[in-house]
Amino acid sequence: MLGNADPKVSSQTNWKKLLRQILAPWRDFDGILLATVLALTGIGIIAIRSAVWERPISHYWIQQLVMAGISLVFLGVVARIPYERLLRRHWFTYFLTLAGLIAVLFFGTAGGGAERWLSIAGFQVQPSEFAKLGVIITLAALLHHWPIKYFSQIWVAVAVVAPPWILIFLQPNLGTALVFVVIVLVMLYWAGAKGSWILLLLSPGVGAILYGLHTRPELSWMLWIWLLWCLGMAGLAAWRLPWQWTGAVTFGVINLLSGQLGQLAWHLLKPYQRRRLEIFIDPMQEPWGSGYHLIQSRIAIGAGGLWGRGIQQGTQTQLDFIPEQHTDFIFSAIGEEMGFIGTLTVLILFWILCARLIWIAQGAKDNFGSLITIGVLAMILFQAVVNIGMTIGLAPITGLPLPFLSYGRSALLTNFLAIGLVESVVMHRQRTTFFT
Amino acid sequence: MTGLALIVALLVTGARLVYLQHQQAPQLQQRAEAQQRAQLRPFIPRRSILDRHSIAKQQAELLAVDRPVYTLWAHPRLFGKRTPEEMATALAPLLRRPVEQLTQRLSANHAVRVERWVSQDVADQIQALHLDGLELVSERQRIYPQKEMAAEVVGYVDLDHQGQAGVEYSRQELLERTVQPVTIPRDGYGRLLAAEVPEGLLQSGETVLQLTLDMRLQRAARAALKAQLQRFRALRGTVIILQPHTGEILALVSEPTYDPNRYFEYDPGLFRNWAVTDLYEPGSTFKPINIAIGLDAGAFRADERVYDEGRILIGRWPIQNYDYHQRGAHGWMSVTDILRQSSNVGMVHLMRKLDPRQYYNALVRLGFNERSGVDLPFEPASRLKPLRQFVTVPVERATVAFGQGLALTPLQLAAMHCIIANGGLKVQPHVVRGLVEKDTDTLVWGSPQPQPVRVLSEQATLAVRIQMRDVVDFGTGQSAKIEGYEIAGKTGTAQKVGPRGGYLPGKRTTSFVGYFPAIRPNYVILAVIDEPQGEDAFGSTTAAPVVRSVIQEIITLEGIRPNST
Repeated sequence: MLGNADPKVSSQTNWKKLLRQILAPWRDFDGILLATVLALTGIGIIAIRSAVWERPISHYWIQQLVMAGISLVFLGVVARIPYERLLRRHWFTYFLTLAGLIAVLFFGTAGGGAERWLSIAGFQVQPSEFAKLGVIITLAALLHHWPIKYFSQIWVAVAVVAPPWILIFLQPNLGTALVFVVIVLVMLYWAGAKGSWILLLLSPGVGAILYGLHTRPELSWMLWIWLLWCLGMAGLAAWRLPWQWTGAVTFGVINLLSGQLGQLAWHLLKPYQRRRLEIFIDPMQEPWGSGYHLIQSRIAIGAGGLWGRGIQQGTQTQLDFIPEQHTDFIFSAIGEEMGFIGTLTVLILFWILCARLIWIAQGAKDNFGSLITIGVLAMILFQAVVNIGMTIGLAPITGLPLPFLSYGRSALLTNFLAIGLVESVVMHRQRTTFFT
Repeated sequence: MTGLALIVALLVTGARLVYLQHQQAPQLQQRAEAQQRAQLRPFIPRRSILDRHSIAKQQAELLAVDRPVYTLWAHPRLFGKRTPEEMATALAPLLRRPVEQLTQRLSANHAVRVERWVSQDVADQIQALHLDGLELVSERQRIYPQKEMAAEVVGYVDLDHQGQAGVEYSRQELLERTVQPVTIPRDGYGRLLAAEVPEGLLQSGETVLQLTLDMRLQRAARAALKAQLQRFRALRGTVIILQPHTGEILALVSEPTYDPNRYFEYDPGLFRNWAVTDLYEPGSTFKPINIAIGLDAGAFRADERVYDEGRILIGRWPIQNYDYHQRGAHGWMSVTDILRQSSNVGMVHLMRKLDPRQYYNALVRLGFNERSGVDLPFEPASRLKPLRQFVTVPVERATVAFGQGLALTPLQLAAMHCIIANGGLKVQPHVVRGLVEKDTDTLVWGSPQPQPVRVLSEQATLAVRIQMRDVVDFGTGQSAKIEGYEIAGKTGTAQKVGPRGGYLPGKRTTSFVGYFPAIRPNYVILAVIDEPQGEDAFGSTTAAPVVRSVIQEIITLEGIRPNST
């Protein structure tokens, strides 16, 4: 009897040992980060399953589940590879990104309005999703080698990011192009650019919007605000930039020109893009058109109340009142079926995720790792804020998915790869904390 | 700084969620529910109305039928890429309207009603154009193929499809198949969720409302009446044909009338069928009923004789025969003579033999002070003076004896004559036969009729029918006579009561009631002509020829041989 018990115990300990051995390389893995990501993905899968239930396309949630599994494996693999190796190969990453974007421009098939797809070996791939990660790596490497010390250094970064950005803008994918801008600005800031420099960099855009607003008859007074803005930016340049007069004149003129250039760009926008921006300002303008999305989403979230209507009980969701409810508007499905409790959980998870990323960025062993982490943070945070903002009526419809939650295999893989990279940063930092 | 931005973002988003999911939750929940339910008023046509003939054999005539029509709305803001001109060009040939006029309509910046009453096949063609911004709202239109021919019975429906007169009004609940619109869940594409549609909602049984009318008689009666009305420049007229054993209304004509398809073009006063709604003093046509009451009560025998002075005084009131100035006293007269010559004085003497209380009760038993119960709207109760007055004031009784001083509708009078015609049974006049299955003629629901009640004896009524046959053969009713056929009848010429009481000088209501065949009648025909003009305007000259024409039509239709009755 006793003789039989012993091998059992030992086999159990053997199993534990074996498991520990297998997992040994991931000993320094950041569990909280991964747990947060998996929790978000899990909620997303539940919501997708509920949103497209009992339809011929009800396999969406299975696809997402399978893709999450595959992505988790990739995450693990990427986490084990020392991220520094990318430092030497970042130009390769860059050109791969460009190649993908060019290919999609020529051979891509258009999806629902904005997205473009590439068929690779039977899989539908969205190169613009992977491009985000490619740009983060490229920019991190660049800024790692040349941290921002002077304003003029910014132009180098801008020049490198411009080609993929233009390719995405041409698709046209307004939302992703916007994500790029945010990633670049946040990474520049993290790399040492002053807040005022970033403001100056953004100033022509703001100027263009102010000038554009003044063309509406009821907002003609905006012209004065715009002039004030131009003057202010010129002053800011004189104060903050090394070459006072040159800087001041340059930014003053750029802002003045931005008005006309903005009008030009406005007319370059596709009508549906212009419409999207206009509808955001006043969704009731078109209750059955683009504004419909916003109104229905708001109704759904509000109808959820505190506790929600229950999984598969949300009538707005179940009866297809919310368009794109498994992709861009997944948050409204969560809001209706899981209520305030559900949406708050999602918000807190995102907050933990971001806080964790900042913490990792601060503890990374080098600028490259730190910048990658901050780039990933910018990518996830901006998309989350804009997407949730859109569903609750605080931001325009941009067609940006909610990271980890929205259905979308390319996006899911990209986000998991990004978290994998960050995990690599965590695992391959020196253990300075022990000694200091 | 980044951390601060994060916290701010979280707070702003959280606050917004509290606002939406707590503060606004009840309103937004309501909005969600409101847009998820569609009010559905299914197009289930109002039942058709047909006359008494076989529907399965397609002999019945259609009196009212629903047909789906559409109202075409345009929403110019939703035209998309098409200009109003393009829309107008596409629609113009279908709507048969000039392009310019349509373009002008379609150029509005709000929703416009382009066309009303678009027929089904034009609607289908419009649908096939697949134009954005057009909306076809399904409605129903009630068609009355017989136009004014049966309007006084059938009635009409208003724009909301609600019956406003006739059977359309009184039998609304039988004609309207689903009154309650139902709410049904729908999805985001506006599709109704079929699983939750109540069973039976979209089925429409093939039953129709069948009337007792015989449109052939209705037409014959109208033609005859119209001719006489024109000849005597009369105010109005009515012809009622009843089946005396069942109370079925075979024809009910009131002139002038209206076209229910275009009811809005007519004086609303015409929508009231005065043969059913207006009381009048019947005059001599009521005499046979009095005689039947007296015979039944045993107050006098059929061969009783009374002396007719031509003119008598009842208290202060003189009563005289219509021909007193020409003939003076008639002398001794039999009951038959009194009817034949329509002697008022004779009637007064006869009815004096009957106990007033018994007389009054008999009148009430025959249906006075009550409605006949006909299934047509707005029928008043017939009127008799109060019992006290009837018993104590001799002149009240005396006037009733020759059909004045009491009031009833033409239809109520015709119904009382049915009692004499059918051998003493009181029947309820009615115009609705019931709901009939279209393909098999099966009566699914029959209009319930009270059991006929015996109110007079067979012998008494038979005696009166024989006397009335003599009226047509030898008396005042000779103008209704048709050689070779036995017809019973009685003329009537009554003074008209003015709106404030008292008789109007020179204004009269002439009438004739006829039974055919005389002894075992299958038809009771009453013709009333109101305010005929001219010196020779009596029941015998105005109304009797109408009844005669109707009986001729019956003879033709039924192929009745002469001397066979």
